[in-house]
Amino acid sequence: MSVETREVPPSGTQPRTVPTSDWSLSWQGVRTVAQLELRQRVRSTRWKIALVVWFVVVGLITLLTSGAVTMLFDDPSMGADGAGGTMFGVVVFFVLFLGLLVAPALTAPAINGDRAAGTLATLQATLLTPAEIVVGKLLAAWLAALAFLAASVPFIVWAFAVGGLPFWSLVSVVLVLAVVLGVVCAVGLGFSALTAKTSGSAVLTYLTVGGLSVVTLALFGLSAPLVTTTEDVRTWSAPTDYDWEDTEPPECGWTVQTQDVWHSERTWWLLAANPFVIVADAQPLADPETYESAADPLTLIQYGVRFARTGPPAEQDWCGDMWFTVDGRDTQLTSPVEEQQPSESEVWPWGLGIYVLLGAGGIVTAVRRLRIPAHRLPQGTRVA
Amino acid sequence: MTDDGGGISTRGVRRAFGTVRAVVDVTLEARPGRVTALVGPNGSGKTTLLLMLAGLLAPDGGEVRVGGIDPAAHGRAARARIGWMPDVFGTWESLTAREVLTTVAAAYRMSAADGARRAAELLELVHLADLADSPAHVLSRGQKQRLGLARSLVHDPDVLLLDEPASGLDPRSRVDLRELVRRLAAAGKTILISSHVLTELDEMADDAVFLSQGRTVRSQSVDDAAAERRAWRIAALTPDPLAEWLTTAGIAARLEDDGAALVELGGDEAAAALLRDAVDAGVPVFSMAPAGGALEQAYLRLEEERR
Repeated sequence: MSVETREVPPSGTQPRTVPTSDWSLSWQGVRTVAQLELRQRVRSTRWKIALVVWFVVVGLITLLTSGAVTMLFDDPSMGADGAGGTMFGVVVFFVLFLGLLVAPALTAPAINGDRAAGTLATLQATLLTPAEIVVGKLLAAWLAALAFLAASVPFIVWAFAVGGLPFWSLVSVVLVLAVVLGVVCAVGLGFSALTAKTSGSAVLTYLTVGGLSVVTLALFGLSAPLVTTTEDVRTWSAPTDYDWEDTEPPECGWTVQTQDVWHSERTWWLLAANPFVIVADAQPLADPETYESAADPLTLIQYGVRFARTGPPAEQDWCGDMWFTVDGRDTQLTSPVEEQQPSESEVWPWGLGIYVLLGAGGIVTAVRRLRIPAHRLPQGTRVA
Repeated sequence: MTDDGGGISTRGVRRAFGTVRAVVDVTLEARPGRVTALVGPNGSGKTTLLLMLAGLLAPDGGEVRVGGIDPAAHGRAARARIGWMPDVFGTWESLTAREVLTTVAAAYRMSAADGARRAAELLELVHLADLADSPAHVLSRGQKQRLGLARSLVHDPDVLLLDEPASGLDPRSRVDLRELVRRLAAAGKTILISSHVLTELDEMADDAVFLSQGRTVRSQSVDDAAAERRAWRIAALTPDPLAEWLTTAGIAARLEDDGAALVELGGDEAAAALLRDAVDAGVPVFSMAPAGGALEQAYLRLEEERR
């Protein structure tokens, strides 16, 4: 059967500019993919349920924390600062914890799931570049992760409003949370491009997140013997014949003691890769008077990691930390040993640096895997 | 012709997946303005070949030109001119038919306004206008298939690669598909269409390329295939006079249970002559037609030759 009519020239199908490189990005391309992903996500009921459950759970935890800190800090001598900081820390860590659980699920099926559904090749066969597909998917997943973060912001602000924290803490913590979630999304995307099965990429992403959250901490502890050396340390100590029952203060002097010294300044970076450390360290360092009485998890972790970065002191005071009653007055022995200070240098930029590298690794892997024409296919996958 | 940059041409194309040699040696030509059928049993390498032509899969060797461009080397330039409809039709289930098309239009870098206009045109063309705003998951298999066809046409490609486009279509949609394919060919497009429903290709295709175990085993035009020796089925009101006449005339025939006879004939003239003789001899013939389509017979003969 032949039909003589010629096709009417179709709308807007004039030759268009063709991107030249697999890595070139256009806003139109990225937006097309992101919009496609978000449309599908927004229309699934699962997603709405997940957001509601998230809101309720974070709300519940905030409420419980609020009750608990009110009871703990009921004693006026503890001060309201501790209550606010503790509540803020607990809520922020809980949001981070939940976020680390949710973010892998947002991108782990993004590529291998589409491949299995036969929709990935449809996009690849168009003029979209692999980079646009990957960045579009990442953007969509990240926005979804930020929606979860946004759902918890009211509770973070509530905890913040209980008081005692600089405004910058709120801003920095929320920003760092957003970046960490974005990086987890990017890592998930990389694994999704590498593996054939959605379950495979999910497991690998969870392992990575678990590794960063738990294994870094374990390694820091377990590596302690490796970076502990026996050294001669100048110590300010009491004479060996001094009787500690004595009411007279000892005549302290410098001696050299041989002892084991843990050089945590060589391994602190292990802690920097921990998402909880990054979030805790992102707030401004409080002054020493505050940290000595601090009870909230963020400040304690921040000081812990800053002291670890400082490393062992060059001189130790075995003598000065005592009170004596001299001439009817309580006096502390004066000591020439300077008190060890936490490092002023921030740890979180190192952590974020590691994360940005990880995220970039995920993106590069995914783009390379989406390049067509495909030469080698991942085991157990097909093009379409 | 392919010389002026149109059409599809391959020479000695091969592709293996590990130890499985999906395409071993395929040489074919598909010319602009013609519909070329890609015929072969399941697993003969049709889909793999189409993936290579669409620029999704790299060939291990051989030469591929689509619209004069090597899709493995200049993928995007080639893809701008290729419309590909995959055999496994995956779709974004929660998007409406219109959104599927506007998304693809945007992916081909068309402006939103152009994309919307093009989507409306195509929905009209494949008779999905009344379902334009229903989500894709409520569409039937045949409707999805039509949407897939519309999707491959979004950017008005010169070359169309259709992988089993008719599967799942009802008779009405098949006729529509045939008319649409003919119309696109008349507009000068190169169309390569794979199927194993051969009767349907008979009416649609101008040329046929036969694949078997990853090799091209024959290329010919459908008219040539029709002119070849093939079986005709003759039925008479009463079977006995037919059988007697065939025996006395010395014509080799195979009788079927219902009394009809199958006769091998070399072309339409031979058929006309046989019919005239039979009627002259007083055999009450009421029906005489080729038994099965030209491509089907050519295909089955080919299979027999290979055994």
